Amino acid sequence: MSELRETKGEKFFNIIEKNAVSILFLIICAVGIAFSGYSLGYLGQEIITRVARNSFLIISLLIPIMAGMGLNFGMTLGAMAGQIGLIFISDWGIAGIPGMVLAMIISTPISALLGWLCGKILNMAKGREMVTSYIIGFFINGIYQLIVLYGMGPVIPIKDPALVLPRGYGIRNTVNLIGIRRALDDVLAIRVFGLSIPLMTFIVIALLCLFMVWFKKSKLGQDMRAVGQDMEVARAAGIRVEHTRIVSIVISTILAGYGMIIYLQNMGTLNTYNSHMQIGMFSIAALLVGGASVNRASIGNVFLGVTLFHLMFIVSPMAGKNLIGQAQLGEFFRVFVSYGVITLALVLYEIRKRRSRTRAGRLLAQDQLDAIKEEQ
Amino acid sequence: MENKRALLKRRIIQLAVIVLVILLGVVMFVVGKEHTILLDNKSIESGGVTYNAFQVVEVQVDGRDKLELGPRDRDKEVVMGQRHKVTVTYFDKYYEEHVVVKKFKVPISQKMVLISLPAVAAELDQSVWLTNYEAPTLLNIPKDEEPIVSDDLIPLDF
Repeated sequence: MSELRETKGEKFFNIIEKNAVSILFLIICAVGIAFSGYSLGYLGQEIITRVARNSFLIISLLIPIMAGMGLNFGMTLGAMAGQIGLIFISDWGIAGIPGMVLAMIISTPISALLGWLCGKILNMAKGREMVTSYIIGFFINGIYQLIVLYGMGPVIPIKDPALVLPRGYGIRNTVNLIGIRRALDDVLAIRVFGLSIPLMTFIVIALLCLFMVWFKKSKLGQDMRAVGQDMEVARAAGIRVEHTRIVSIVISTILAGYGMIIYLQNMGTLNTYNSHMQIGMFSIAALLVGGASVNRASIGNVFLGVTLFHLMFIVSPMAGKNLIGQAQLGEFFRVFVSYGVITLALVLYEIRKRRSRTRAGRLLAQDQLDAIKEEQ
Repeated sequence: MENKRALLKRRIIQLAVIVLVILLGVVMFVVGKEHTILLDNKSIESGGVTYNAFQVVEVQVDGRDKLELGPRDRDKEVVMGQRHKVTVTYFDKYYEEHVVVKKFKVPISQKMVLISLPAVAAELDQSVWLTNYEAPTLLNIPKDEEPIVSDDLIPLDF
């Protein structure tokens, strides 16, 4: 089949449409930086910190996209598992890198179980994976709260009084992660041009990126791509579609658990009942800002997204304050943008899907017309 | 038959991985366990003999900064893992410097241990200078809630 003949204007419009969210964010960030008055050094340091903190979590979203399951809002399940691991190591008094590794070991079976459950349910809701995983997140959050608020203490032994609520059971609203605070970030921290770079965290992220590249080329990765493109064709080719989809969600959930532990070691404090809920939305919004869509995402999208999204996060309150004297405006703005960008990406995805159908029709018509002309 | 053998091999590998991960978890637990070491410069009595507190004593746990303690002073170090070294440096009445180095192992179940420096200097048995310490109940009263730290950079209450 030949290429569709398009005018320059149409080609330009296609490029703009393909990168609409990223371009929009670039403009917002450029205006925000100008009005915020922050120095480049300050912004650079903040971006480095936030890229190190969030990238692992966002990369965990790539595998379900590869398998055609869209944006995994169920990553909050992994985040909850990571938090449970952190609660245990805080109670047992395990610190530093061993504490982080132990929290990851504890989170792994919980994440795998939750991921398997999520994958099973998503297989029953094909085509509506995103909204289903979003609701599963709320459902499991209820169970998480039940366990953490009522189960920890009387049923699951938690001895540290600094963790338990004054009533004697349930975990406090905030858990101080002093033992593992910046445990990974400080392992190989270097200074370049006055900026502190947590090298070890970046090495871990780089290893995950390498894993993703290798995984894409592996048999399982190829199967996932085949399933993502067309489930029926994949099934006809002998791929266990349902199983592959479950595996993709399990891997994503486990990685999200690890990502949450890396995220929280940087923060140094665990917000027991809210951290995991926020992180799902922000990670997905950041990935979309980087130019990813529901069915297409790459490692490049992760880094571009986390940079642009967090740049907007940093500059918008101060820009809002300097523009109209109220930081609250910037606060509302960034929350509005987080949700707005997800909506915009979903709308654009639908538009693109329809347009690609139209393009396919136009291409077919063009080919038929060319064939008739050749016959004449 | 071939399939069964492959499946069995797979199961054995899976089991081995699970066992390895559990072992790694146990190692991390032991290596990463935090212990508080209280360094105590108070007079101590053992076997009917009194070992007096030092006027000034320097103490160092592992390779950390030296701590200087006066009589009846107590300081603490939070350490990770079980095996540690304490170095006590003191002057006798002839102003001669003495350095005593002791290696010790903190039992995994003990969160807080107390080291009596006069007993270390007198080179008494480890059971005399290293004892388990239970913090009084009052010290266990939980602090106020930690402030919530989130990704937000700028506080809203300007």
